[in-house]
Amino acid sequence: MKTEHQIDDFIRREKQTEPNPFLSSRVMANIEKLQKPEVKKNPVWQVAAVSASVAAVVFLGISIGNSYVDSTSPETVMNINDSQMENLGYYNLENYE
Amino acid sequence: MSDEQLIHEIISGNTSAFKMLVEKYQLRVFRTVLGFVHSKEDAEDITQDIFMKAYQSLVFFKGESEFTTWLYRITANMSINFVNRNRKNRFLQSLEDIFYKPSGEKTPLEQLEESERDQRIRKAIDSLPEKQRTAFVLSKYEELPQKTIASVMNISEGAVEQLLQRAKNNLQKKLSTHP
Repeated sequence: MKTEHQIDDFIRREKQTEPNPFLSSRVMANIEKLQKPEVKKNPVWQVAAVSASVAAVVFLGISIGNSYVDSTSPETVMNINDSQMENLGYYNLENYE
Repeated sequence: MSDEQLIHEIISGNTSAFKMLVEKYQLRVFRTVLGFVHSKEDAEDITQDIFMKAYQSLVFFKGESEFTTWLYRITANMSINFVNRNRKNRFLQSLEDIFYKPSGEKTPLEQLEESERDQRIRKAIDSLPEKQRTAFVLSKYEELPQKTIASVMNISEGAVEQLLQRAKNNLQKKLSTHP
């Protein structure tokens, strides 16, 4: 009899536990989530194509950059040399005497 | 609005009718689940899963039985599945219960005694065979009549009576060995 009373008392106390008042809102939120159309992910081939294009552009840029050869001749270099452009010796006519 | 009308509304696509259904039955479902798992957090999670399952399966509900019977059947099945899946974790839960026990104006000794007694009762209920436990929880936590329990468990009323009697005897036996 005592045991039965203890069990009933335990059940009575456990039954007093109240659920979260927002339980129904939680359920409804999950249902709404379930109904929402899933955001379509890009197919793998699209992702791969974009990655490959970016890689190709970078590679092309580096290749073009490396293929550049400096074609300036020493004469040109002289022309852009200030001292050549303003050759004071020319005015002094030292070399033409 | 009756259950039939609500179900009809839900199947027609009115989700707010389902909210009404959840609000109507959430306490009953929660209490039943609590009888199986004895943890508020777990009971809330399972209650949520039960209503999700009910929502998804509502189109298959043919109305051959009462909606409550159908819902209690889902509740009992999902609770038992959860208990079987989490049998190992129950030990940690029991340890938590030893150290946490909210109680009114009792002395620490009384609180400890009550906590130990509760744990013994919980263990005894948990150790009942599946069918006895289901019948016991539906009878004690939900105070369902034997006829309804029989419908939920898909057995005869006589079988329910037997299960309840056996459950009672088993609990007496398990708990009488302790003071």
